[in-house]
Amino acid sequence: MNLEVLVFYLFASITVAAAVMVISARNPVHSVLFLILAFFNAAGLFLLCGAEFLAMILVIVYVGAVAVLFLFVVMMLDINFAELRQGFLQYLPIGGLIGVILLVELALVLGSWTILPSAGGVAAAQTPAIGDITNTDALGRILYTHYLLPFQLAGMILLVAMVGAIVLTLRARPGVRRQSISAQNARTKELAAELKKVSSGQGV
Amino acid sequence: MVDASPMTGTEMMVELALIVAKILAIVVPLLIAVAYATLLDRKVWAMMQLRRGPNVVGIFGLLQPFADGLKLLTKETIIPAGANKGVFLLAPVLTFTLAMIAWAVIPFGDGLVLADINVGVLYLFAISSLGVYGIIMGGWASNSRYPFLGGLRSAAQMVSYEVSIGFVIITVLLCVGSLNLNDVVKAQEHVWFAIPLFPMFVVFFISALAETNRPPFDLPEAESELVAGYQIEYSSMSFALFMLGEYANMILMSAMTAILFLGGWQPISIFGLLDWIPGPIWFLGKIFAVLFVMCWVKATVPRYRYDQLMRLGWKVFLPLSLFWVVLTAGVLVGFGWLPVKG
Amino acid sequence: MTAALSNDLVLAIPELILAIGAMALLLLGAFRGEGAAGLVNWAAVGVLALAAWATLAGTGEAPRLAFSRLFVVDDFARFMKLLVLLGAALTLPMARSFMARAGAERFEFGVLVLLATLGMLVMISANDLITLYVGLELQSLALYVLAAFLRDDAKSTEAGLKYFVLGALSSGMLLYGASLIYGFSGTTNFVDLAATLGHGDGTGPAIGVVVGIVFLSAGLAFKVSAVPFHMWTPDVYEGAPTPVTAFFAAAPKVAAMALFVRTMISPLGDLAPQWQQIIVFMAVASMLLGAFAAIGQSNLKRLLAYSSIGHVGYALVGLAAGGLQGVRGVLVYMAIYMVMTLGSFGCLLAMRRGGQMVERVDELGGLSRTNPMLAFVLAALMFSLAGIPPLAGFFAKYFVFVAAIDAGLVVLSVIGMLASVVSGFYYLRVVKVMYFDDAVGPLDRPIPLPVRLVVTASGLLTVLYFIVPAPLLVSAEAAAKSLMP
Repeated sequence: MNLEVLVFYLFASITVAAAVMVISARNPVHSVLFLILAFFNAAGLFLLCGAEFLAMILVIVYVGAVAVLFLFVVMMLDINFAELRQGFLQYLPIGGLIGVILLVELALVLGSWTILPSAGGVAAAQTPAIGDITNTDALGRILYTHYLLPFQLAGMILLVAMVGAIVLTLRARPGVRRQSISAQNARTKELAAELKKVSSGQGV
Repeated sequence: MVDASPMTGTEMMVELALIVAKILAIVVPLLIAVAYATLLDRKVWAMMQLRRGPNVVGIFGLLQPFADGLKLLTKETIIPAGANKGVFLLAPVLTFTLAMIAWAVIPFGDGLVLADINVGVLYLFAISSLGVYGIIMGGWASNSRYPFLGGLRSAAQMVSYEVSIGFVIITVLLCVGSLNLNDVVKAQEHVWFAIPLFPMFVVFFISALAETNRPPFDLPEAESELVAGYQIEYSSMSFALFMLGEYANMILMSAMTAILFLGGWQPISIFGLLDWIPGPIWFLGKIFAVLFVMCWVKATVPRYRYDQLMRLGWKVFLPLSLFWVVLTAGVLVGFGWLPVKG
Repeated sequence: MTAALSNDLVLAIPELILAIGAMALLLLGAFRGEGAAGLVNWAAVGVLALAAWATLAGTGEAPRLAFSRLFVVDDFARFMKLLVLLGAALTLPMARSFMARAGAERFEFGVLVLLATLGMLVMISANDLITLYVGLELQSLALYVLAAFLRDDAKSTEAGLKYFVLGALSSGMLLYGASLIYGFSGTTNFVDLAATLGHGDGTGPAIGVVVGIVFLSAGLAFKVSAVPFHMWTPDVYEGAPTPVTAFFAAAPKVAAMALFVRTMISPLGDLAPQWQQIIVFMAVASMLLGAFAAIGQSNLKRLLAYSSIGHVGYALVGLAAGGLQGVRGVLVYMAIYMVMTLGSFGCLLAMRRGGQMVERVDELGGLSRTNPMLAFVLAALMFSLAGIPPLAGFFAKYFVFVAAIDAGLVVLSVIGMLASVVSGFYYLRVVKVMYFDDAVGPLDRPIPLPVRLVVTASGLLTVLYFIVPAPLLVSAEAAAKSLMP
């Protein structure tokens, strides 16, 4: 028993267990927390493969940003999960059926797994050995050269997502009083206060 | 990466013992440092307000942190009736653990680091972005309004400032050409990044204040509005863990500032006069200096309003740091200064 | 490196124009505020026209690959890109008055249309499974937002949400299929895939590849709304704002069809026996469903949705036939279909009574007396959609069926002809309501100028196509040829 194998099974089993808990936990907040656990262990699996860059990015992006917003929303929404679950049994047969079909297909496919003989030349691995180059470097090199086009287009997709979110949700509310910092800073004593001599018993 | 060559049982044990010893060598001094950071905080604050601060327990109040610790240790841990027990107890533990494990990659001297990994900067960034979970979990699990509000505030605040911290880190990385923290320090042999990247240095420091919930961005706790924010329901050791985690994070952020902008363990080179002082001392000195400024800010700057905080993060820092990323990249490419390896 | 990159960029000039144009207009809109909506709209049309002009460069040259072979520019791509750009450019001006009346005149509309069009151009030029997916997502994401553009309208938001959820599902299927194909062939590049999958050693491809193709075509079928992945179409078409629906029915469908054709013909061309049966099934099911399900519809937008499902079926007949003739049939079909469908939706946009959009069939009663010109154009379009000679729609169907018969798919063509007879019923019902039913009342005037122009042009093209059919045929032929190995 190699240590590496042991660690792999540790990460893998926790990932799977956490994933099961995500869909079976009663409390939605717990679901999100288990999801985070699953992300963590997936990052661990990446580390085991020697893909440290992906592991860190997974933690930063998914755990550090996406899941925080998930948690935020779930906590704010106060979802009644018991109600949501009512249809669960009703849809279980068809959902289960689709799952089983996909599983059988996957098994069929994996069972007959042979990469086409003609693929050998094409699939020539340009992947350098892990020792030669850090994988941050390797990813950067391939992303900005070979996959330049999809990389830039992915940026456009994010732009669309941002524009879309703003279009669908931003509402200009009338009558909101906003702070104008420059105006506040520009206020002088003369503008702000007026000294008046009030003689007693007269009022202003 | 785990070493592929199989190890015998004794070798493994020795290796393990060595690692544990190294960890202890970092964690124990760190905890003491954290204890004294609380004292430093109070002393600096007091002096700026012309008070004396803690001065009863020990000379200059030097034993005050231990007295506080002992007091908290002997109190009863109270868990509110409506609280979500598991999450409630997990939150402080998480905060504390995260604050500790980040130190694994901090280089105290040339090569003097527990785990010299290739993506050290990303590791630190990842850990610091996780800090929000302790707070938001604690705030939610307390099942009470003020803690919840504090938790939500902190979630929004920390996520917002992480964005600009990320861009600042990218500008530094552009100049270094590596994600290894030791390389980052070495790249500052001639000039600290605080000088050419001065605006980013400022942005980073201020974002670090927001990231650690330090004044003037201490809205998650905001005594005057939320009583104590997410910490209200915590008592005894669970509260102590939050406090320890918070101060450890403060020191961590100071260490990050020192590494990214102040040359880490590199000495201040005045014709080699001060080079005899060992690297770790320099490093600790720089951390102390940054810590002092943090306390200074606490004593002098009033707390931001929430919309001002968000405005600063999204409308000032984000465009500024984004602009600097482009500018830095442009200058590096334009003058051919890009650190290309291999 | 730099020289290679600039060569690549030259080939992608239409895409670059759209991307830069969209970003520039976004900035313009953001700085000018809501008042910029009209300006952005017209500027977007200009950007599209510029891109179309750039697309024409290099026509007739041999196919060229760019960006590490992830991107291909050939006559097929140029033909389809021009169609898509035309569709987008005609929708934008038509949308102006509609959006203004709906109180949703925002500059993001033009920007989103540009970005969606950019996605479509990338789809059309995709030469790699990764480019295919990225282009598809760019297009889809923008379209989801467009469908929900009237955010205070329950129907519109519902349409957006439905489209989004089902679209995400179909993307998942597509990715599943793509990953299977990649797993078995070791490459995502179309050129390499063709080389890898082409060498039949008599045993046929591995089962994994076939399963992959099934999932891939399921994902693509969703995007062209072919049966059995059509469920979203009627709901989304009905719920989305009418100009957006017009856009949906024209541009994305053409782009998705182009992608479908390229994927099937170019990398999977040697596996035709495997995918042909899938396409034949989809074609038959789409034609029949399009014919029968539309009969019961009373809402014009739903009716046109089912009609579009049926028309996709006819176009797929051409794909099932394969070969030069089949592909040419698909190209001609999509071109004519786009003109007809833009015209029909233009008519819908032109009809407004008492400030309300006319959307129901029975509201068309007596249109021939209240608005004879509009009724005439709509009737011509309906006849054309039904495929009655000598209108354009007839030629579209003709070329597809001829190709199918030549390829030996006689049964398929017979089913297609029967389906088109059945579908004639509901198209003619619209005509009957307009010409023989009692008048409901006059329409609001004036009809916005852009709508009038589009409707007139589409009507003229449909009616008079038989006089000069050659240019379209010749260019479609050239385009189809460039796709053939």
